[in-house]
Amino acid sequence: MLLKAAATVLTLAATVASARYVTAHLKNPAAPLQPPVLAGNGSTASALGGQFTVGPSVHESDVEPMTSTYAS
Amino acid sequence: MPPEAVLESHHFEALGTSCSLFAVGRPRASLLAAESWVLRLGDRFTRFASDSELSRLNARTGEWVDISGEMEELLREGLRAYEMSAGLVNVAVLPSMLAIGYSRPLVRGPGVATLHAVESLPRLGDVLEVHAGRARLESGAGIDLGGIAKGWMADRLCESLGPNAVANIGGDLRAVGPGPRGEGWPVGVGDRTLLLRDHGAATSSTRRRRWGDLHHLIDPRSGLPARSALEEVSVVASSGFEAEVVAKTALLLGPEFAPAYCAAHAMAWWLGGAA
Repeated sequence: MLLKAAATVLTLAATVASARYVTAHLKNPAAPLQPPVLAGNGSTASALGGQFTVGPSVHESDVEPMTSTYAS
Repeated sequence: MPPEAVLESHHFEALGTSCSLFAVGRPRASLLAAESWVLRLGDRFTRFASDSELSRLNARTGEWVDISGEMEELLREGLRAYEMSAGLVNVAVLPSMLAIGYSRPLVRGPGVATLHAVESLPRLGDVLEVHAGRARLESGAGIDLGGIAKGWMADRLCESLGPNAVANIGGDLRAVGPGPRGEGWPVGVGDRTLLLRDHGAATSSTRRRRWGDLHHLIDPRSGLPARSALEEVSVVASSGFEAEVVAKTALLLGPEFAPAYCAAHAMAWWLGGAA
């Protein structure tokens, strides 16, 4: 009996504590995107017009391309 | 010291476009076999031949139709493209293609456009069901695989061309391995040369396959040719298929939302023609 009561009290306490924590840490809908993706992330103007962005896993080169994405 | 591996290349026409294959350390016969595979699948996936596997599926709407393993895989990829693009890449685009007059290969000139009957495209899952070895289209629906098949083929080809190869099918390509010099495969994307290594790349454009005021890139929201302020988008992603889907989606999203979408789905991108 004592064990049941202790378990019930522990459960209720955990529920109340969780609820209080959640309501005290509301999501801020105005928080900025992390990492910022809309500006200042390495985009450069292209000679063809528009914007070129190259992520860290891709490297640029000045060698002649063997093929291109412009076949069609 | 082992002899330097030889770079083989092979160029051919298929699917109404130009294709290129490159492979290091593979016999030329493997590239020729890859060309045969592309031509074979092109014959089955085209909507311009009435006896192709795709045309038979499109002709028998409302009933279950037996399909090949490749067709099943590609239709499932069509469903995945729909989800990836939030509905902006929709293979059930055939009615719109026919309405704008894209009813035959453009080398023969466009057909007559009948735009008054055009509607927004249906939800793909509502008109296409795919089960093992069979598929079913709702009455009135039609499939065009032109928006996803080339990238998917490039991915499949690279699996057969060995660990150091490039397959470029009409500008939708996949590159695997370190390339001929060990620094990646030099590929022209936008106005740059990028060194690709286990990447896919593709360009989506409204500047090509264009006639009069019309072009082939349909916006599913209207069923009409897209009126995006972006005219051309090139993307590097993890596969040819994904690059093709992301490039088309970004173009349709336009300059306001394309940067964020590309940042989430691509490794490099070029947004051209932004107003």
